[in-house]
Amino acid sequence: MTRAVRTPAGSRPVLTVALVLTLVAGGFAAWTGQGWYAAAHDDSAGYAAERDRALAAGEQAVQNLNTLDHRRVDQGLDLWEASTTGELHEQLADGREEFAGQVRTAKTVTTARVLAGAITELDDRAGRARLLVALRVTVTTPDSKSTDKDSRMLGELTRTDGQWKLSGLGQAPVGGTATG
Amino acid sequence: MPTPRHHLNQQRRRRARADAPAPATPSAPAPAAAGERDAGPGAPVGVLTGPAPRTRRRPAAKPVPEGAGAPEREEGGGPAAKGPRRRVPLLVLCVLTLLLGGFAGWAQSRAGALRDDPARGNTALTDPARTSEVKGRTAEAVAALFSYDHTDPGAFEQAGKAFLTGRAVEQHRTLFAGVLAQAARQKSVITTTVTESAVERIDGDRARVLVYADQSSVSTAGAPKPAAGGAKAKAQEQAQDQGVYAGAMFAVDVVRRNGTWLVENIDTFGR
Repeated sequence: MTRAVRTPAGSRPVLTVALVLTLVAGGFAAWTGQGWYAAAHDDSAGYAAERDRALAAGEQAVQNLNTLDHRRVDQGLDLWEASTTGELHEQLADGREEFAGQVRTAKTVTTARVLAGAITELDDRAGRARLLVALRVTVTTPDSKSTDKDSRMLGELTRTDGQWKLSGLGQAPVGGTATG
Repeated sequence: MPTPRHHLNQQRRRRARADAPAPATPSAPAPAAAGERDAGPGAPVGVLTGPAPRTRRRPAAKPVPEGAGAPEREEGGGPAAKGPRRRVPLLVLCVLTLLLGGFAGWAQSRAGALRDDPARGNTALTDPARTSEVKGRTAEAVAALFSYDHTDPGAFEQAGKAFLTGRAVEQHRTLFAGVLAQAARQKSVITTTVTESAVERIDGDRARVLVYADQSSVSTAGAPKPAAGGAKAKAQEQAQDQGVYAGAMFAVDVVRRNGTWLVENIDTFGR
C-alpha cells in the first residue's frame, strides 16, 4: 500500500524535473540542429567538395588521354572521347581514324601515372576549372623497350551534365613564354 | 522549501475531505489497484494507454493516504479529476525529452560526419587569401633556392637559410651538389622561375604545392676548355650565352613557422 502512495506522491517534483529535462533536451536539440544545418549549408564545404570532384575527374581524364594500347585502340579511343568535351572532344573525334592507324602501325603501348595534381582555378557556378597534372608516361615499343617521360600537363575542365570532363589539354611550355 | 509544499498538501487534504463522502467508484478495486499500479508502467499496454486504467482507481486509493496522514507522501493523492491530467503532461514530457534528445544526438553525429569530411579539411582554393599566400611564398622560395649567380654565391647560401627547414636542407644540398660545382667553374647564372603552380592542399599550417618551373642557365665566361674546341664548342658556347632552358616539375611541402612559410620537403617524384 505504501507503494501505491509513493507513486502519485512524487508527481509534482517529477513533473518539474521532467520539464527541466525536456527543456534541456530541447536546448540541445536546437543547438545541435543549428550546428548540423550550418555544417550542411556551408558554402566553402560545397566548394571544397566540387574542387575534389573536379580534381578526381580531371586526373582520371588526363591519365585516360595518355593511355593507349595498340591491341585495343578502339576501346582506348572510346575512353578518350568519353573523358572529353567541347573543342578537345571534337579534335579527338576528327583525328581518330588517322591516329588509330598510326598507333596500330607503331604497335606501342602507352601507360600513364599521375604523380600529382591540383586545381588552380575553379568556377563552381560556370562549371569551369583549370588543373595541373604531373604525369609520368611510359611508352613500350614492340621490342619491349620502355621509356619514361615526365609531362607537365595543363588541363581545362568543363562540367557537362554534372560531370567534369576535359575541354582542353596541353603541356606547359618551356622557356621563351616563361619570362615573357 | 517545505512551505509551499505544506500549503499544497493542506489544500489537497481539505479538498479530499470534501470529496470523501462521495467516492466515484466502489472501493472494491482498491486492493487490486495497489497491486496493479506496480505492474502498470511495465505492463504491455504502452505509454499512451497506460494512464487510462489508473484514473478510475485513484479515488479508491485516496482514503489510504488520508489515513496514513504522512504529509510528505500524500501530495500525489489528489482528487479523481487531477490524476489523468497530471500523468498526461508527464508522459508527454518524457516522450518529448526522448525525441529531442534523440534528435540532438543524431544531429550532432551528422554534423560531425560533415565536418570530418576530408574535402573540408583541405582549404586550398576555399581560402583564397591563404591559397595565394602559399603560392606566392612558394614561388619566391623556389626562385631563391634554385637560382645561382656565380658573382654572388652568398645569396644562394642565404636562401637556404631563409627558406628551408627540416629534411629539405639536406634535399636541397643533394640536388644542387653537382650543379653548384659546375656552375662555379663555368661562371654560370642559373635563374629559376615558377611558371605554374597549384596548391594541392592546405591543412592549417601545412601545405603542399605542385610547381612547374623553368630553369635557364647562362654561362657568362667562356668555359675553361682548350681553345681548340672547334665548331662544336663554339656552338655550345653560343647556346649557353642565349641560355639553356629546362622545364622542371616537383612538389614542395611547406610549413608555417613564425608567420612565414618554409619549405620542409622537396618531392622530385623519384627523379
